[in-house]
Amino acid sequence: MRKRYIQAPGRSDEASGLRFLRKADAVDLFFVGYGLLIVVLVAASYAAGVFRLLPYDPEAVNLGLMLAPPGTAGHLLGTDFMGRDLLSRLILGIQAYFLPGLLAVAVAIVPGAALGVLAGYGAGRADRVITWFSNLVDSFPRLVLILLVVAAFKPDIYFIMVVVGLTNVPATVSLVKVKIRFLREKNFIEAAEGLGLPRRTIVLKHILWHHCRASLIIRATLGMGEAILMETSLSYLGFGVQEPTPSWGNMVQSGANYFLQGNFWPSTVPALAILLSILGFHLLGDGLNNLLERKAVH
Amino acid sequence: MNLKGVKPVARVLAREVAVTAFLLLGVSAVVFGILYLAPGDPFSLLLEGQTSAGAPGQGVREALGVPKAWHVQYLSWLAGMFRGNFGASIRTGLPVLEEISRVGLNTLLLTLGSMAVTLLVAVPIALYAAVRGVNRVSFPLTMAAYVVSSLPVFWFGYVVIYLFLHTFGLFPVASGGSQGTNRLYLLLPIVVLGLGNGTLSEVIRHLREEMGRVLSEDYVRTARAKGASVWKHAFKEGFLIPVTEIVASKIPFILGGAVIVEQVFNWPGMGRMAWQAAQDRDFPVIMGIAVLAAVFVRAGSLLQRFVYIAVNPGASRETVERRAA
Amino acid sequence: MKRVSVVILFVFGMTVAVSAWAADSRKDGRPNGGTVNYGEYGRPATLDPVTSNEMVSLRITELVFNGLVGINEKQEIVPELAERWDVSKDRRTYVFFLRKDVTWHVRPGEVPKPFTADDVVFTYNVMMNPRTITPLKVRYEFIESVEKADDHTVRFTIKRPILNALAKFTFKIIPKHGPANPEYLTREDPFVRRPIGTGPYKLASVSGEGEITLAANDAYFKGRPHLDTIVAKPFADQNIMTQALMFNAIDMIALVNPRYLPEIQGDKRFVLQPYNALSYSFFGYNLRNPFLSDRRVRKAFTYALNRQEMLDSFFNGQGTIISGPFAPGSWAYNLDVTPLPFDPQAAAALLKEAGFSPGPDGILQKAGKKLSLTLKVPIEKESEAVKRVVLAFRNYLKNVGVDIKVEFEEWQAWKGDVFFEHDFDIIFATWVFDDSADISSLFLTAEIGPWKNNFGGYSNPEVDSLLMEGKLTLDHEKRRTLNRKLHAVLAEESPYTFLWTLTNYTAYHRKIRHVAIHPYKFFSYADDWFIEP
Repeated sequence: MRKRYIQAPGRSDEASGLRFLRKADAVDLFFVGYGLLIVVLVAASYAAGVFRLLPYDPEAVNLGLMLAPPGTAGHLLGTDFMGRDLLSRLILGIQAYFLPGLLAVAVAIVPGAALGVLAGYGAGRADRVITWFSNLVDSFPRLVLILLVVAAFKPDIYFIMVVVGLTNVPATVSLVKVKIRFLREKNFIEAAEGLGLPRRTIVLKHILWHHCRASLIIRATLGMGEAILMETSLSYLGFGVQEPTPSWGNMVQSGANYFLQGNFWPSTVPALAILLSILGFHLLGDGLNNLLERKAVH
Repeated sequence: MNLKGVKPVARVLAREVAVTAFLLLGVSAVVFGILYLAPGDPFSLLLEGQTSAGAPGQGVREALGVPKAWHVQYLSWLAGMFRGNFGASIRTGLPVLEEISRVGLNTLLLTLGSMAVTLLVAVPIALYAAVRGVNRVSFPLTMAAYVVSSLPVFWFGYVVIYLFLHTFGLFPVASGGSQGTNRLYLLLPIVVLGLGNGTLSEVIRHLREEMGRVLSEDYVRTARAKGASVWKHAFKEGFLIPVTEIVASKIPFILGGAVIVEQVFNWPGMGRMAWQAAQDRDFPVIMGIAVLAAVFVRAGSLLQRFVYIAVNPGASRETVERRAA
Repeated sequence: MKRVSVVILFVFGMTVAVSAWAADSRKDGRPNGGTVNYGEYGRPATLDPVTSNEMVSLRITELVFNGLVGINEKQEIVPELAERWDVSKDRRTYVFFLRKDVTWHVRPGEVPKPFTADDVVFTYNVMMNPRTITPLKVRYEFIESVEKADDHTVRFTIKRPILNALAKFTFKIIPKHGPANPEYLTREDPFVRRPIGTGPYKLASVSGEGEITLAANDAYFKGRPHLDTIVAKPFADQNIMTQALMFNAIDMIALVNPRYLPEIQGDKRFVLQPYNALSYSFFGYNLRNPFLSDRRVRKAFTYALNRQEMLDSFFNGQGTIISGPFAPGSWAYNLDVTPLPFDPQAAAALLKEAGFSPGPDGILQKAGKKLSLTLKVPIEKESEAVKRVVLAFRNYLKNVGVDIKVEFEEWQAWKGDVFFEHDFDIIFATWVFDDSADISSLFLTAEIGPWKNNFGGYSNPEVDSLLMEGKLTLDHEKRRTLNRKLHAVLAEESPYTFLWTLTNYTAYHRKIRHVAIHPYKFFSYADDWFIEP
């Protein structure tokens, strides 16, 4: 839906005045800042997890201190149902979605961009076929499709993330396709071809790199946010990472068993982590997108 | 509605239906393909199930010679589906379609209800933001909606349950029944799915953009200048179309969210059945649900296009495609 | 004239009132009426006594069906569908004389059909038919043949005399006209979802969500039960089920999760009643693994576990730690054998003796091979407690240098791995017994094989001979001695690490009276329950 603005950059948001624009800039900068902070935190925590720089052993069971609230006995975020430190498990849990998420994003963007180029550049028939395939992929609720794949293959998280990435291909395709159409309308492509530039250079350098990269990066951040949600949802349902390996999703699930009796923290801590991370990636994407559009308008 | 444009409209509609049918065929191919590639031999089970489900009351499972060629397998499965025979569940031995329709209604209720909740909250906020722009009221509201809709549903649900039980002291039997508190409890998953699940923020954003755009269109400004009702002129393009558009495109996400919400609330619906089927590797059930979910999505999409065409009878094929892509 | 009609009306009214009010066909002075809603965890797949293998179904069939004989609260055999019986001198022929006043539950539009010997023969044939999917075949293989002597007499011939054979004839009888298939029973038969029996309650309806309503059988041969209806409400979440009890949405929970005991205990509206379950939990070892075939290793694992800590932390201490293969409520349990204490040093010493030494990463190894084992656990519906026990086990063993890899598997896949493929090192499971003293299928060498209960491959000639002797003897005292010896031997041998028997509690609202619970079947005495008006 965002393409609308790219299509018709002449239409600015006349519903508000200049004041809005300036304030919006500040808000978007705030979004981007927050988003970047989250990205840095996640990456750093991932590294910490890989090198096991954790406050406690994430698998150290302590039956005397189960379901402790944050702040008890040196456990900054409390303990879970086996007395294990929540903070350590939280940090380690990033491993469950970090690399798989990157994989999902890569699978969404690379084939997506390629197909988008085909659809935008090629004959009308390629466009129609690719559109049909896009609609086909879009017909499935993502989770239902994944459950189908899980039932068939009992796959690991990387396989599942490839599927998630594939379901995001239509979005990338339409992004690139519309961009190309826009450039065509502006006779940009004709001009480049007229100058004798080889098609590959036009596509790779001019279309994708110069014009699409911002949108693609934005797609990537949104895709990462989605991948996090997918992985945690799957782990919550019991299909992802299994005990004793932590994943934010399975931490919420095991904590939820104790929620209704008043032990809120074991499930709330990972849930908040999920919220803040997804929010970070989404706001980053949205903020960048808005800033981009402001630039286009000006 | 414009009667003059009926014939071409009919043609466009027919085309839409044809495209949808073709897409659904593709859906069945994808589902079949996935199962075909699966290790083991899910197809003998499925086809055997289709035969015994088609002959109820005998309790006998004939050892059929399952056809080896994949296209024959595909066609026989497809043919079975058209006759309403989706096979029999591996776990319970009951016909799949019967099982799914029993719970499908609950999921339908959940989905439609949550859409209504989302719109109830999103439309006022979007309208306000579109008309007044970003200000002290609309910005916090939009941000709040954003945060609420980013809450992981599988946690949000428990919070809501807890509040419901302990604050209001109301308690329902989670598995059906028609007492008063039960009806109230039914609202919980609907509210949770409507507010969480990421749909709310997307809907607000889309509606605000579209409404804002339409409000700044020339014909609306003319109407405003003339003193005529802005609403009446802007309604079709500024409200009806964006709403149906975003709702139709969000159906897959809502169905996905329903899977999780049904787990949290133990709502006896298609989503929970799909989860159980994935656990048990109950292929006939999960295939049936995947196909039906896709049908539901496409039906929503088709409906949306009908609305669009009804509103713009002179819609050319290109415009329809452009809006859909 | 007017006065007469008034008198007549009055008398009529009184008669109706009295008969309704004191309607008490059981002649025990207690009132009829009322409904008990009880919460069940999970929904039964089938409702007939032949194909069912879940506790949930078992409880329902207990209300809907009867056996030839029954067992009363004092554990004595009492007549049920059979009013008396004859046992031949060689203890190989049992003749049952059936009651003549029993009719089957009526389907709408049908006439009540009497219960006859044909139904008994039918039930046996269906149970033993190879195409019937049932866990019962093994239990009744001792029966050689059954024949109908006349409409109300049945003769069973058994292969060899066995101790307490009569108790085995409590299996439920299904009607010949019930199932659609006259030869064998599978899940597709509508009878398994809409059963009819002879019991105190008949199936009235099953709602879309799986709520099962049972209505009192007015024609029940022991007299109409007091409660009008019993409704089984399925919950997929134990948290919510407990909350439902607290908020009076249900009146009873069959098995209370130990976590909620303190909450319910404090509430005066409810009665918390313990009942003995003849079951215990254990970690089972696959002796085919060379590491685990060494008894010292298995014993070391038992020493390494702090069973009391687990019982206290996870189950509120509501249970008893066991030292051997019997449930502590069983007459066979040998109280002289005490459970091994928690002693990680003893564990380490035993492992060292078995030839293990710590490797560079802290994990024990022997001849270059790490002591790393796979623990397979079925994903159960309420797997919280199981998860905790399993993770604690892993932790305790890690502390003595043993690496355990935990794998959660779906139920069918797990059963296949354990009982068929034997592809596992350790499992965590719970055995539920109906005859607490017969553990032969668990430890006999002859019971090693695909789909047989000796999944670990345990083989010991001494144990074999003790078990066989116990099976053949008809002297109860002798049997007890043999079992006590078995207990001691198996405790030392540790083919399992025996964990505990949890105290089962049922919780119900005070208004339900005269509640006696069968340790395994639960509702056996439910026809006597009544509601305080």
